[in-house]
Amino acid sequence: MMVEEKIIEETLMVGNQLGLHARVATMIVQAMRNYGCKVTLCKDGVEVDARSVLGLLLLAATPGSEIVVKAQGPDSRQALEEVGRLIQNEEFDNR
Amino acid sequence: MKNSTTGNEPKTSDPTASANNYTNILLKGLGVSGGVGIGQVVVIERLTEEICPRWVLKPEEIPPEISRFESAVKTAADHLKDIKSRIGSHHPLGNHIYILDTHILLLEDRMFFEGTKNAIASERQNAEWAVSETITKIMSAFDTIEDDYLKERARDIHFVGERVLRILMGISPESKIHQLPPNSVIVAHDLSPADTAQIKRERVFGFATDMGGKTSHTAIIARSLKLPAVTGLERISKIAQTGDTVIIDGSTGVVIINPDPEMVLRYRQRQELYSKYQQSLMTYGRLPAVTRDGSRSVRISANIELVDEIEIALNHGSEGIGLFRTEYLFLGRRDLPSEDQQFEAYRQVLGHNRPNPVTIRTLDVGGDKLAVGINSSHEANPALGLRAIRLCLERRDIFRTQLRAILRASVHGNCRLLLPMISCLTELQTSRAILDEVKAELASEGQEFSQRMKVGILVEVPAAVAIADLLAREVDFFSIGTNDLIQYALAIDRVNEHVSYLYDTLHPAVLRLIRQIVHVGQATGIEVAMCGEMAGDPLNIPILMGLGMDELSMNALSIPIVKKFIRLLSMDECRELTQKAFQMQTAQEIHNLLEGWIRGRFPTDYFVDQPSASQ
Repeated sequence: MMVEEKIIEETLMVGNQLGLHARVATMIVQAMRNYGCKVTLCKDGVEVDARSVLGLLLLAATPGSEIVVKAQGPDSRQALEEVGRLIQNEEFDNR
Repeated sequence: MKNSTTGNEPKTSDPTASANNYTNILLKGLGVSGGVGIGQVVVIERLTEEICPRWVLKPEEIPPEISRFESAVKTAADHLKDIKSRIGSHHPLGNHIYILDTHILLLEDRMFFEGTKNAIASERQNAEWAVSETITKIMSAFDTIEDDYLKERARDIHFVGERVLRILMGISPESKIHQLPPNSVIVAHDLSPADTAQIKRERVFGFATDMGGKTSHTAIIARSLKLPAVTGLERISKIAQTGDTVIIDGSTGVVIINPDPEMVLRYRQRQELYSKYQQSLMTYGRLPAVTRDGSRSVRISANIELVDEIEIALNHGSEGIGLFRTEYLFLGRRDLPSEDQQFEAYRQVLGHNRPNPVTIRTLDVGGDKLAVGINSSHEANPALGLRAIRLCLERRDIFRTQLRAILRASVHGNCRLLLPMISCLTELQTSRAILDEVKAELASEGQEFSQRMKVGILVEVPAAVAIADLLAREVDFFSIGTNDLIQYALAIDRVNEHVSYLYDTLHPAVLRLIRQIVHVGQATGIEVAMCGEMAGDPLNIPILMGLGMDELSMNALSIPIVKKFIRLLSMDECRELTQKAFQMQTAQEIHNLLEGWIRGRFPTDYFVDQPSASQ
């Protein structure tokens, strides 16, 4: 059986004009429910679990910040893409 | 636009408990959602830290204490889910409901959930103590965040903790908020999203809270419910008591507890005026800015700093963007925005306003505001120091990147470039030379850009006024930045409390400077715009029209009233009034002239939204 255990990562930019705010953080944590892999977000050397709303908010990722997203485990590619979309999306800008 | 009290019968004319005690206590806070609310106070009590019981557990008490905590968290989550399902998606809060999901996730968050269990197990703290300690720790982590919006989220974890504490302590987790009497004005230290989500809109006339700024939940919710709200009152939850009559004015931030009947009557009138006024004003936003005698000489546009603000600008009737401040793209971050990031922002603003003009101002900050590589934070006089165009000419890498992004975006709409703080011809010529270089560079790369992009300068240094005729040869338009022009011309720091009283828009010197620019513009055939606060104050409109301004750009919210004034005025009467104003000798005389004239000319429309109307 082949399980993707390699850590994959991507550097992304926060697209939302308000930064990684409560709504985006909530959507990321909710999206993670569909995955079994481990996903973390890293900014300026601080790494947080994508399943923690508090962690995501405390990243204090303002608009345009660079975030390294890392994923490891089953479906890590899809998880990485979905989290990436939410971080980069400019649409959910309603406070 | 529906006002809070439209269609409701006033009930405050028969105050009972406080009938003989008209204290007229006046408090001043931050008006965060407009309108007047008059009703009975309902104080929403918050749990205070002090009443939380603390004891040290015996080892055998630890496992049952952990289960007690877990079950309280489960109950809290069930409550929130219940509230969410009860209010449903048709609720006026619309897409703000997600915040309840955020709270549910906070309950499950490892930092809170495991953190508390850990405090119970290893510190042997009882559950209440452990929750309160954990929440305090998490909240202090938010203290270091600079971004105001993200910082405010510390309140969310506080509310979640409070909900769990109430359950642990056997106090009803629901505040009185879901069983309000009619005509309530909600008074609280702070309101949680779960509180506000349960509010019955038709029973509430407004909010007044101790805490909170413009981005607090109370403010956001109040605006989306179109209810008046005043925040930042500091002590109102201690001063006001349930049942007191209260007036809140969400435009001015004034709150009056136990007002006398005369005061109530006065605010009742103001309230009626306000709601009628708001309704009628929005109609004006949609109409063109044509004077009574058919002159279409002026364009009314909006000042914005966020891409998000385009919608509000368009809703209020803007005919373009007279000032797009680009600083927001640069601030609050550790690096510089890339060319592509900037391009995307400019493209959006241009595209949404097409074919109306969008004036993009190049970076207008002091070096101290930028995090990267500019060491100018020790300037003794930052206002007279390395900022705006001076900074851009010092840091050409930043300037060139911005110019590239603007030029590339210029094909997506009607783009105009505005250079801030020009004080001499050389600065302008150097800037234009760099612009030409950047254009050549883009052309050689095969990138598209508009050949017709107009270039203007922000006239805000008195020296630029004095040499306006020389500058006019090299630009396509002038835009008067009144805030800085007044500050530099009158030598007054607006934020210095000792001298700010001297800051006067209608100082004869200011008016003469403006007139001088307009004359140069007319003589040389270039457009003169105004984008400072002066342009959005209805009081100044007749004189700005009389002077012959080509564009007035303002805060979007001012557009409807400004358009209304313009539509009711004729150019002749504006010119006549302007001539009179120029014969006056002091700012006070000019102010009296304009105010008296406008009061006479617009007796029913005069300044409903201004603080002076209630005095």
